[in-house]
Amino acid sequence: MKSKRKRKEALETVIYTLPAIVLVTMMMYIPFVMSGYYSLTKWNGIAKDAEFIGLENFRTIFLESSEFKDALLFTGKYTILFMVFSNVFALALAVCLTKKLKIANVLRGVFFIPYIMSMTIVGFIWKFIFTQGFAKLYDITGWGVWNLSWLGDPKIAFFSVVMVGIWQSLGFYIVLYIAGLQALPTDVLEAAVVDGASNRQRFFKVTLPLLGPSITTCVFMSLTNGLKVFDIILALTKGGPGASTYSVTLQIYKEAFQNNHYGLGSAESIIYFLVVLVVTQFVLKLFSSREVEL
Amino acid sequence: MTGNKTKKRIKRIIFLIVLLLVALIYIYPVYLMYMNSFKPFGEIVKDAIALPSHAELENYTYVINKIDYFRLFGNNVLITVTGIAGIVVFSSAAAYMLDRRRSKYTKLAHFLIITPMLIPFQTIMITLLKAMNVIHLSGSRLGLGVQYWGFGIPMATFIFYNFMKTIPRELDESAKIDGASTTRTFISVIFPLLKSVTVTVIVLDVMWIWNDFLLPLLMVNSSNKTKTLVLAAYTFIGQMNTKWHYAMTAMVLAVTPSIIIFVLLQKYIVEGVVAGAVKG
Repeated sequence: MKSKRKRKEALETVIYTLPAIVLVTMMMYIPFVMSGYYSLTKWNGIAKDAEFIGLENFRTIFLESSEFKDALLFTGKYTILFMVFSNVFALALAVCLTKKLKIANVLRGVFFIPYIMSMTIVGFIWKFIFTQGFAKLYDITGWGVWNLSWLGDPKIAFFSVVMVGIWQSLGFYIVLYIAGLQALPTDVLEAAVVDGASNRQRFFKVTLPLLGPSITTCVFMSLTNGLKVFDIILALTKGGPGASTYSVTLQIYKEAFQNNHYGLGSAESIIYFLVVLVVTQFVLKLFSSREVEL
Repeated sequence: MTGNKTKKRIKRIIFLIVLLLVALIYIYPVYLMYMNSFKPFGEIVKDAIALPSHAELENYTYVINKIDYFRLFGNNVLITVTGIAGIVVFSSAAAYMLDRRRSKYTKLAHFLIITPMLIPFQTIMITLLKAMNVIHLSGSRLGLGVQYWGFGIPMATFIFYNFMKTIPRELDESAKIDGASTTRTFISVIFPLLKSVTVTVIVLDVMWIWNDFLLPLLMVNSSNKTKTLVLAAYTFIGQMNTKWHYAMTAMVLAVTPSIIIFVLLQKYIVEGVVAGAVKG
């Protein structure tokens, strides 16, 4: 009797969890294993059989071509700037927006709007601003800053891309920091005031350390989002001028779907996976070990 | 004393003005997009900042017809609803068993379901297309919706599972004593209690699926009948390269549904996003 019930329970457990396992296997594990296999082949995506060439693709990536390494470098630089500025600006604005203001809620909404828009569209909007909008601003003000080649000069285009990336997602980090700030224990902050701490001291010595968990979350999210950057660049610069704004994700996309080098693209995607894995785990460990417990 | 008070007040007003100014500059690009969508081509090129001389609605009729806007809108709804429904049902059901029936099997299942959160989409996108061709999930809107199940389940299960731990097991037991089956207990006792976390999952996944670009680009871009809103806007704007009046209108049409929903549901959306980030 008991074993019958047990068997029924075991069957239920499997029935409830199996759809999730099967779906995840179909959409993620199988393609992942296939990527691993195709990274060792030469394959144009159309031919029925891929030619097995061992580690040749990896040799090409590291020794023969600089495209992937450049893309990796770009993604690294992009991610670092994106992380630093997103978090600094978001924290500063979050502090301002948690002050008792009647319009604070409206302002939060304003900063959040770009985040709910498609990144592709955001890229296009800024393409328009950088060309048409800035041209008119130059006519009016005569300031040289409006007349820079925002998307045409490789060095400047890099910063344009970073700026648009931050503009799109800043609202997200702002609301996370606001939630963190509102959850701070008020008695500790009041104690700091009573003890005669200045505003600045209070912020750097009390608020900031206590905000540890929020900072970890935001830094981690901005890291993974930075490493994933794709849509904005495709709409804004298509990787140009030259190849100066090619991110790793865009490079993989180009290698596979435009150059029809599916094998090489798969090899790049495997390296990308490993880099993301190592970097995110490292940063996560680094930040969570520094959190302050109260 | 009064001098100090006035000084504080002035400081406060300056702070408010600066903050307001920053917000206005921040949202200015969005305003420019809307404004220029009402201008004829000549006016945009001449002056992108000035107000339109009159509201040029021809832009809208042209773009709406050209990209078949209402069909695209329907496609987006279909894909998003299909995706969300599967993600919520399969993830909450899995999370229920992963928490309540702990065994070697659930440990393994837990690991298998959650681990793919570590795999970036670009790592699998190349071979995904091939795999989806084999099982005929590519090229169709429903097929795309189903694919989102696989991509959404890891994160959603993770969120559901963490919340499930806080629901007392006594509830399951008393339902069982009353003679309710496991399925009955799950549907009428447990699932209603998951409401807040279900909202979180829905908010996160709607924002993701509605605005997603790369997966639809790979799967449903070949036919105008299956395209999504963002995809059609992307192709259209690409073709309209310098015809800014049509491009602006297409952008407005693509983002306005999201903005309306956000304005109406700001509180829930922000709460959902925060909860999702903290738990995820």
